[in-house]
Amino acid sequence: NMAGLELLSDQGYRLDGRKPSELRKVQARMGVFAQGDGSAYIEQGNTKALAVVYGPHEVRGSRGKALHDRAVINCQFSMATFSTAERKRRPHGDRKSSEVSQHLKQTFEAAILTQLYPRSQIDIYVKILQSDGGNYSASVNAATLAVIDAGIPLRDYVCACSAGFVEDTPLADLCHAEEAGGGTVLSLALLPQGGQIALLQMDARLHQDHLDTLMEAAMTACRSLSTVLDRVVREHLQEVTTLTAE
Amino acid sequence: MLKTEKILHLKSSRGRKVRVVREHYLREYVPCYSSLCQADCNNGGKVLPGDVTHYVVPDVGVVQDFLEVLEFAELRGIVFMQTACQSVQQHRGRRLYNRLRSLVKDPRHDCVLFSNEFQLYSYCPRERGEALEKWHTRSVYHAAVWYYNHLAGLKPIVMITEDREAIEEYSSLNSGVYVISTQEYLESFWPDLQAAHELYASIAQALREKGSEVREREYAEHLPSDILEAGIKSGRYIQGVLNVNKHRAQAEAFVRIEGSSNKNAELNSDVLVFGGKLRNRAVHGDVVAVELLSRAEWRGRTMALSDGEGEDRQGEEPQGQPMPTGRVVGILQRNWRDYVVTFPPREEIQSQSRNSQRILVTPWDYRIPKIRISTQQAEALQDQRVVVRLDSWDSSSLFPNGHFVRVLGRVGQLETEVATILVENSIQVPPFSEAQLREMPVIPTDSRWDVEPEQVLGRRDLRQTHLVFSVDPQGCEDVDDTLSLLKSGNSAWTCEILDFSDTAGITGRNTVRVEISCLRATTYYLADRRYDMLPAVLSADLCSLLGGVDRYAMSMLWELDGQTLAVRRVWLGRTVIRSSYQLHYELAQSLLDGGAAEELPELGGLGPPEREERLGELRRALETLTHVARHLRAQRDRGGALELEGVEVRAQLDEERNITALVPRQPLEVHETVAECMIFANHWAAKKIHESFPHEALLRHHPPPRQEYFAELRECARARGFTIDTQSNKALAASLDRAQDPRDSLVNKLLRMMATQAMANAQYFCTGACPRDQHYHYGLALEHYTHFTSPIRRYADVIVHRLLTAAIQKEQGREVSESPCSNKELQELAQHINNRNRAAQHAQKQSTELFQCLYFRDKDPLTDERCTADGVIYAIRANGVLVFVPRYGVRAAAYLRSREGQVLSLRHDGSCEWQPGSLQRFPDRICTSTAEGTHTFSLFDHVSVRISVRPSRCHADSLCLEVVSNRPHESGGPEARAGQRAAAGKAELVQEVVRWAEEASQLAEEQGRAPALQGEEQEFQQSSGITLYSLLQEIRELALLDPSACQQ
Repeated sequence: NMAGLELLSDQGYRLDGRKPSELRKVQARMGVFAQGDGSAYIEQGNTKALAVVYGPHEVRGSRGKALHDRAVINCQFSMATFSTAERKRRPHGDRKSSEVSQHLKQTFEAAILTQLYPRSQIDIYVKILQSDGGNYSASVNAATLAVIDAGIPLRDYVCACSAGFVEDTPLADLCHAEEAGGGTVLSLALLPQGGQIALLQMDARLHQDHLDTLMEAAMTACRSLSTVLDRVVREHLQEVTTLTAE
Repeated sequence: MLKTEKILHLKSSRGRKVRVVREHYLREYVPCYSSLCQADCNNGGKVLPGDVTHYVVPDVGVVQDFLEVLEFAELRGIVFMQTACQSVQQHRGRRLYNRLRSLVKDPRHDCVLFSNEFQLYSYCPRERGEALEKWHTRSVYHAAVWYYNHLAGLKPIVMITEDREAIEEYSSLNSGVYVISTQEYLESFWPDLQAAHELYASIAQALREKGSEVREREYAEHLPSDILEAGIKSGRYIQGVLNVNKHRAQAEAFVRIEGSSNKNAELNSDVLVFGGKLRNRAVHGDVVAVELLSRAEWRGRTMALSDGEGEDRQGEEPQGQPMPTGRVVGILQRNWRDYVVTFPPREEIQSQSRNSQRILVTPWDYRIPKIRISTQQAEALQDQRVVVRLDSWDSSSLFPNGHFVRVLGRVGQLETEVATILVENSIQVPPFSEAQLREMPVIPTDSRWDVEPEQVLGRRDLRQTHLVFSVDPQGCEDVDDTLSLLKSGNSAWTCEILDFSDTAGITGRNTVRVEISCLRATTYYLADRRYDMLPAVLSADLCSLLGGVDRYAMSMLWELDGQTLAVRRVWLGRTVIRSSYQLHYELAQSLLDGGAAEELPELGGLGPPEREERLGELRRALETLTHVARHLRAQRDRGGALELEGVEVRAQLDEERNITALVPRQPLEVHETVAECMIFANHWAAKKIHESFPHEALLRHHPPPRQEYFAELRECARARGFTIDTQSNKALAASLDRAQDPRDSLVNKLLRMMATQAMANAQYFCTGACPRDQHYHYGLALEHYTHFTSPIRRYADVIVHRLLTAAIQKEQGREVSESPCSNKELQELAQHINNRNRAAQHAQKQSTELFQCLYFRDKDPLTDERCTADGVIYAIRANGVLVFVPRYGVRAAAYLRSREGQVLSLRHDGSCEWQPGSLQRFPDRICTSTAEGTHTFSLFDHVSVRISVRPSRCHADSLCLEVVSNRPHESGGPEARAGQRAAAGKAELVQEVVRWAEEASQLAEEQGRAPALQGEEQEFQQSSGITLYSLLQEIRELALLDPSACQQ
């Protein structure tokens, strides 16, 4: 019955009424918790993610893990039991979540200036409150804001976005229905100013000739996202400065 | 940056009792696709015209059930709402949805799709507890109102619906938007469109009756699609296309297995589905899932001849080897098309009509079951051929339900029968519409169309430098290829040039005419008429490389080595040419043979010396071309090219379209010369585009045949003591050449014919969609092949021209251009063209048969001399033989056992009579035993047959043969037969010599032979026009010989 869904209509609309290159509506807030060193909440369409950052602090647990020249990044990704249409049995610790955690770790090792904090640790916790496709991307974007909120220096914003490919047209920022069809899904995390790719992942087959157009679409989407994140950070700063001024 | 404003929206779809929340983005600017738009909508592509009296918005129910009525091109200004389209997709399936999509895309229909659900103000969310149908109707109405206001009230809008309550509820709400029922709409706005009224009534009746009755089950229920899918994956069920045996439509059907991925190793043949119950409502052409029965229940296919009348005497007929047998458990894809049917005679209607107005009608195609339709007009439709469509086939009904669509005409009339053939092959050839003709360049009647100077600058000018001429069949209108030759000064180099009409250059992209030619995909040739792919202005004038006028062309120039004829250099590009001579085959051949050329109109006004000079020039050019073509042919022969045979007969009509004679074609060597040059050009074009676009080139391949299909050929050849080696195409070609019976040249032709039948058809494909080892063209023995030479009448050639143009541009580095088409697009296009080509072939074959029947219809078989002819037995069946009559190109069955059980016995003079007795069948012969003695009919025996027409009310008439004597029939006088022998002998002689010479690689020797050859040619020259006997190629299939020979 998946065949019934037409992901891109002849008029050029996607299932939810977007055009191929349009992103979902993004809303974000920083500093949502007082306890952690930094925190952020992001909504990308119906995907909602919460990220909290602790650190940098001393390495906890076995001291052997500590690195003498840079900080250790510890990421944990989990999904709320109520995040999907059917209640999830194991909110964290399953294979998929561990994989995303691993990916988050790689992404932020590339983005955070870890060499400034030798022999210390930075913890990033991300929870998906509602899932509607692009979990990894939302997590990266939320974590970026949280890391900035914590005051940890970054090379650049890390922005992530997914992209798919339907009938020779790249679709940016897939929703759940578009991801579930079994087509190509490419997730890209980008440092937009330098154009460096922090992480690239792709599921399902794609003809080699189309890879460049797909990557280009994903990168454009990431750049658009970075302007949104930038605006959020600036607004937050303004807010905080006016508050402290009073 | 983010343009979308979001209004979050709950949309719960309860597939598995899951509440899914989906986003729904709305925007203010959604194009309305109307030319009256006041708000500057971004209306790209097709728009509704402003010159209609109103726009019509069909409700969801109307689109779901009455889409066919909306397909009438007369109904203009239709706005389909997205709500309706989506519900069609969800509730009526892919097939109807695709039909709707293509309707919206079709430039000939004035209809558009408005995405009302994405428009901020036309969208209305579904309310809590609101019924789906109510919400649909409300959405459509709301959108119609928005549309009316969007156009600032310039156009009244009529919403048509089948929902009575909706009419009451909405009709008085807004002044400019009317809500009426479909019937009322048709009656008040289209009172003259009778066909639409009838179609509406017939669909409505079919719908009413569908709901009304419940009966006991006649068939097993089909399995749901998810179970089928899982079953096919696990190997429990087999997926394939159902193919009904035309001669035993009631009993036998086969499922051709798709792909080679079936895990069942023993399944290397088709699966037999025996009987109507096991076929379980599948119709010929449907994609079905079958389950195999246990081995004990397997049966063989019936080997006896059947007269196709559908009476099955089970059990007593001999069967072949038991083969996999199965039953249909589900249908994956219905492939119903329009069917031509005939109503039963009046008496039968009366006996049937006890239960309402339902009538069983008989389709023209034997393979389709009878169809039950409800109509009031059964009386009026007597003796008419009628088009119907199938609606449904419930498990409670013995026959499928359908509805009446339109009338074609009276049974038996030529126009009706031709229209029937077209409908049965799904060929649609409406006249070119105004919109298309408007795009054509206008040629003032007093002046000629001329080339534009700025176009000439970008092209190579061959008008002065090259001698260009064309060779086509006599009376041909669309000249799309010319030949040319240039011998450079030092005579060591030969330069051969082929030019092809630059149709692609003239037909731009994305215009209406390209769409239409894509739809038609090929020019359809029937026995007495043709349907052009392009309008006449293009095909017979602008794109035709006529003599004496300047034309754009796409030229391919080879520089050949003067000695070895190896290709030194190839040039390909756009040119301007002027053809000097417009020859036809017979004329070209007579020039080659040294005959006089008084007919050449181009030389009319010249003095004798100049005339001789020009003539000599042309003759030399022809000779050189022939020389080169022989070389090319020999080269391909060494690679393993096959020469195959088919029969083609053309009906000669007088002014009133009565058939005066059936004339077979005459093979001339110049046919082969031209064909060889075309093959060469196609081959190089294929090479070129394959190099430039390895994944997006449109090529043509011919898959190697399956060895088991050759079994019959080998068997037959063994009967005459020949062995046929079918391991490779080269071995096959060689052994076919050896299988030559000195006393009977027909044996070889028949063997070649059988070899052709054993092979699959050549097909277009896109290189990106097919592994590299399948690119090979088996029949031509070429690595790459495509069609490039006839852009006027084949759409594939237009595409190849476009690809070539892109390749040239890429080479020149003018722009880093991508391939003009994507792989997927091309593959779909290739499929489409293949389908259309197959349809064109079937139509041509059927129309030839039709004319054969018409020819014999008025002749009395017993007295008319022309009805008795010589025939050759080419296959043995259990109760008769298959006979080929070369004089008329007829292939049909002749029974040796009559229906009363009598068999044919021979008198002393060889004539036959029916007597009680028995039949015994062997692989290569069949024996009849009567009181008179035993008589044997062997393969390749010549017999005399009497040809008669078996008239049929519901189906096509067919020819039937009766063996009247076991001796060859002498007719037409001995000189005609001598002529035939000579005709057959000549071409072979020439080829034989060339082959031999090539293998010795001694050109000198070959040249030494040439004068002798010409002497023989003159000696055996045909007495033109009298011989009614010859054979020609089934070339369109394999393109082995000249494509243009098939033109009218």
